[in-house]
Amino acid sequence: MKKSFSAFVKLLFTSLLLSQFALAKDPLNSPVWSDTIKEMIGNDKFIFDDKNIKINVPAFADNPLQVPIYIDASKIKDAKKLLVFADLNAIVKVADFDLQNMKPVLSLNIKVAQGTPLRAVVQDSSGLWHVGSANINSFGGGCSVPSGASNMENYEDLLGKTKSKVWKKKDFYRIKWSIFHPMETGLFVGNPSFYISDINITSNKKNIGKINLYGSVSENPRIIFETKSGNGSYDLSIKDTDGNEFELSTKI
Amino acid sequence: MKFINKLFLFLLVNTIVFANDYDYKLTPTKVAEDTYVFIGKKEFFNVKNGGDISNTAFIVTKDGVIVIDTGSSFKYGEQMISEIKKITDKPIVKVINTHHHPDHFLGNNAFKDADILATEYTRNDISTNGDMYIENLLNLTFKWMKHTEVKAPNKTLEPLKNKYIKLGKHKLKIIYLKGHTSSDIALYDEYTKTLFASDLIFYNRVAATPHANIKQWIKALEELRAVDYKVLVPGHGPISKEKEPFDQMKRYLVYLDKTLEDSANEGLTVFEILQLEKPEEFKNLSMITDEFERSVINLFPKYENNLMK
Repeated sequence: MKKSFSAFVKLLFTSLLLSQFALAKDPLNSPVWSDTIKEMIGNDKFIFDDKNIKINVPAFADNPLQVPIYIDASKIKDAKKLLVFADLNAIVKVADFDLQNMKPVLSLNIKVAQGTPLRAVVQDSSGLWHVGSANINSFGGGCSVPSGASNMENYEDLLGKTKSKVWKKKDFYRIKWSIFHPMETGLFVGNPSFYISDINITSNKKNIGKINLYGSVSENPRIIFETKSGNGSYDLSIKDTDGNEFELSTKI
Repeated sequence: MKFINKLFLFLLVNTIVFANDYDYKLTPTKVAEDTYVFIGKKEFFNVKNGGDISNTAFIVTKDGVIVIDTGSSFKYGEQMISEIKKITDKPIVKVINTHHHPDHFLGNNAFKDADILATEYTRNDISTNGDMYIENLLNLTFKWMKHTEVKAPNKTLEPLKNKYIKLGKHKLKIIYLKGHTSSDIALYDEYTKTLFASDLIFYNRVAATPHANIKQWIKALEELRAVDYKVLVPGHGPISKEKEPFDQMKRYLVYLDKTLEDSANEGLTVFEILQLEKPEEFKNLSMITDEFERSVINLFPKYENNLMK
């Protein structure tokens, strides 16, 4: 009797401890975690869910101006929204993706001001947020390749120039695209912030997703989307913070 | 047991207190008559190696000493000079920077009186980006960089095109190539038949490619391989008398080029490429994981651009 009671207490205690960890413990121990997540999702409920959110980052980000990241949260079947942010970055937000018919997958390059946790936060249909985390190791700042887009001679002609290609993968389409744009953060004196902020994705005139980007995305963004929707033909309407609009049509 | 503990503690304290006297422990290896090489470690810049990761060389002639590349810091250059002085009392008259990477020119400011020569492209890059390289290496090696300052070459190699640098019996042919960077200088000493291949050759150590053009690089290798050398001094990795360093280098570049091209065609992501199984031959080369990742991240966008419309 006594034995089973103590076992029960132990079990209760362990499960409490575990749930505490699962609920509240940032796996990366970021000093600003609790403030940052509040800023991003308010008082919504969240869980740490690295198991279901895959985040790839380089082992070491040599070039802090171009750090490739790849997020795949396909394991969360009813994903509605995907938020990407970097806790310690000068510009914390990276992307805010209203998924609609898009897979919870995103690949792009970002700028980092220093080493920082990277988060991919996915909201499911119950409203619960799943938090995925990875650490970006970088010296930041010290840029091994100077940013150049807005200093190029034929900058005006190139602004908004896009490239793209679609691949059919197993049961989805992968859309790779790039656009010439300086993506100014606004943090350098004399260069006001100027970046691509809104992208609307349609297939056969039907909206299938919408994403907001921020100044933390690298210049001349290179982006990967994935969707099971449509038949391999997609249109992107792209807006920047100066009100410029660019159109991109791509098909397999 | 207790003694072992004490010994361990003693050693630990010793390592902490005396670990860094910033001595590269450079030892010249004689590779041919009058010709010496400081062999660097097959590593990336770190606090332990202080940036001693590339090969530098010098030739002692009756008209003075010529130095080929100056390492990654003022301290490296200074320690090179003190090793050279142990071998000869001839003055150092010429210093060559084979290209603009920081492990090949940041020792320049230790060389006070010698002419420093490089191509115009290399000289410009050193003047423009030198401080950025120093800052990067400060992050990687800390105090090893003390007193390191940018000293750009004071002379260009262009006027010597199709000519030789002649010093004593030594007659150095300057070979202008590109591929590892936009301007790579190889030197061939006709007297000793020694070929200094600069960073066009990484031997048994995976190549660094931050400014590389792989197709140009392969072409440069084909040209340089034809040189009738007895001794090959690569930019990184051990000395060789064979053609194998050329063949290994080319096999790796062809593999890298083909992997990137195929991956672009298949629409892979950078990380999918990194997870591909590597050929057995390259799996055990020094720095394969790090350098391959760096190369893919740096070079893949170009391959994607060529493909996307």
